[in-house]
Amino acid sequence: MTRNDWICREYVESRSDLIVDALREHVVITVMSVAIGFVVSILLALTIRRWRRLAAPIFGTSTVLYTIPSIAMFALLFTVTGLTVTTVVIGLVLYSLTILVRGILTGLDGVPADVREAAVGMGHDGVRLLLKVELPLALPTIFAALRVTAVSTVALTTLGVLVGHGGLGQLIFQGLQSNFRAEVLTASVLCVLLALVADLVLVGAQRLGTPWRRTVS
Amino acid sequence: MTKRRSVTALAAGAAFTLLLTACGGDDDSDSSGSDTTTDDSGSENSDTDNGDAEEGGQGSLTVGGADFTEMSVMQEIYKALLENAGYDVSIQTASNREIYAEALVGGEIDVVPEYAATFGEYLNVQANGPDAPTDSPVATTDAAETVEATRPLAEEEGLVLLEPAEAASQNGFAVSAEFAQENDLETLSDLAELGEPLVFAAVEECPDRPFCQPGLESTYGLEFSEMLPLGFSSPQTKQAVADGEADLGLVGTTDGTLEGLGLVLLEDDQELQLADNLVPVLNEEVAGDQAAVDALNELSDVLTTEDLAALNAAVDAERQLPEDVASAYLEEKGLL
Repeated sequence: MTRNDWICREYVESRSDLIVDALREHVVITVMSVAIGFVVSILLALTIRRWRRLAAPIFGTSTVLYTIPSIAMFALLFTVTGLTVTTVVIGLVLYSLTILVRGILTGLDGVPADVREAAVGMGHDGVRLLLKVELPLALPTIFAALRVTAVSTVALTTLGVLVGHGGLGQLIFQGLQSNFRAEVLTASVLCVLLALVADLVLVGAQRLGTPWRRTVS
Repeated sequence: MTKRRSVTALAAGAAFTLLLTACGGDDDSDSSGSDTTTDDSGSENSDTDNGDAEEGGQGSLTVGGADFTEMSVMQEIYKALLENAGYDVSIQTASNREIYAEALVGGEIDVVPEYAATFGEYLNVQANGPDAPTDSPVATTDAAETVEATRPLAEEEGLVLLEPAEAASQNGFAVSAEFAQENDLETLSDLAELGEPLVFAAVEECPDRPFCQPGLESTYGLEFSEMLPLGFSSPQTKQAVADGEADLGLVGTTDGTLEGLGLVLLEDDQELQLADNLVPVLNEEVAGDQAAVDALNELSDVLTTEDLAALNAAVDAERQLPEDVASAYLEEKGLL
């Protein structure tokens, strides 16, 4: 480790506890953020479908939130929720909205009118129409938005270092500050892997969720 | 699909290489590093009440502060001392003073290791505006004076400064050991007596900072022929001095890598630098807690700049874990 090589098995072995802890925190923050962001976004998208007039304010607000520099965002949230994981999760949820709300809404709006009419004609309405017809048909678009969100959330989580909860970001910044290459590279590679795993999980979920498309692709 | 698969394979391959390649250079410090990591298992989840331990040595405390090496080591030292005094201690870092100082004021963090002069002026700015450090500075070159002047400002925020240690993390000025020996240099005054224009490797802003180039010129009468903007205590600055490209380099006094590079610090004998001595800052609720105060003051009695440099070197050069470095130091000093 003293030679400061970029790749170092000894680092991984001797600090596996710390690496696993950081990885766990990273996964927890990412999963919570995307999950909460998704639920909030569905509610917002449905709100917009019901009251179209709210579309502009909701899109506007989420876009403005998206443009807040992440360092400022965490610093602002810190004054409310302190040096906690919650601060990071709230920030990441707010960032996820702009992509997710648009994705979900685009997906729902993309359901062909004649399909919807046919469903209504078959006696579907309200919640049943949404769950049985519209959401399934919107799934590919929704999953596309989810995948973008998940990957960007994995990356943004590292900035939680500002409030001491950055998951792998803690190791990356620590390594950068003390010029510890193995620490920087190991944590960075894990970050990339995590993003890939998140993406693959979502692709898998999409395939499970849209069995009718499997024969097509 | 195939594209994504190849990307995955590539990444997995990279990770695999990472796991299989050894980096050699094995030395004992690493194995001792992993031995002691398991010791702190009990201290992780201490979410009970903060600072309610009137009769000393009970309750849980959060040590906090910045997250660079020196502060990590100091936090681990505080943690070990406070645990030894009977507290449950956790560490909560943040990347900026603005953030952890606020958490300290709010009581989310109980203890922070700080630099006396820098923290004093930080509070000065908070209380009296951005011009305060020049108009009515609290920091001087004397640690006790600085802490004394800072205390009223700290009190307003509900903070208490304990005793400063001798250890100070300041601007330091390094020359190569060879150059120092040839010219019999020990202090910056010795260097000025040579009367030669010097090449100075420092931060880009050095010509504008009162404690850098202007101070060296007016206080010591040093002359500079050239400034190399290579950064504060950066590897480039140190290398330039070691290679003889620069005569003098701006480094940290607690930089543990100087000796290994063949550099020596020249003493700031005219006391140009402000007293950035290490001082524990407590939230006042904890400061009433004599066991905690005593434990931290014990450290201030022994910690020197050389100690701190050695601790930094153990982490940054030998790659030991801060917590192992901290407990080894405290045991050596008989504080555990």
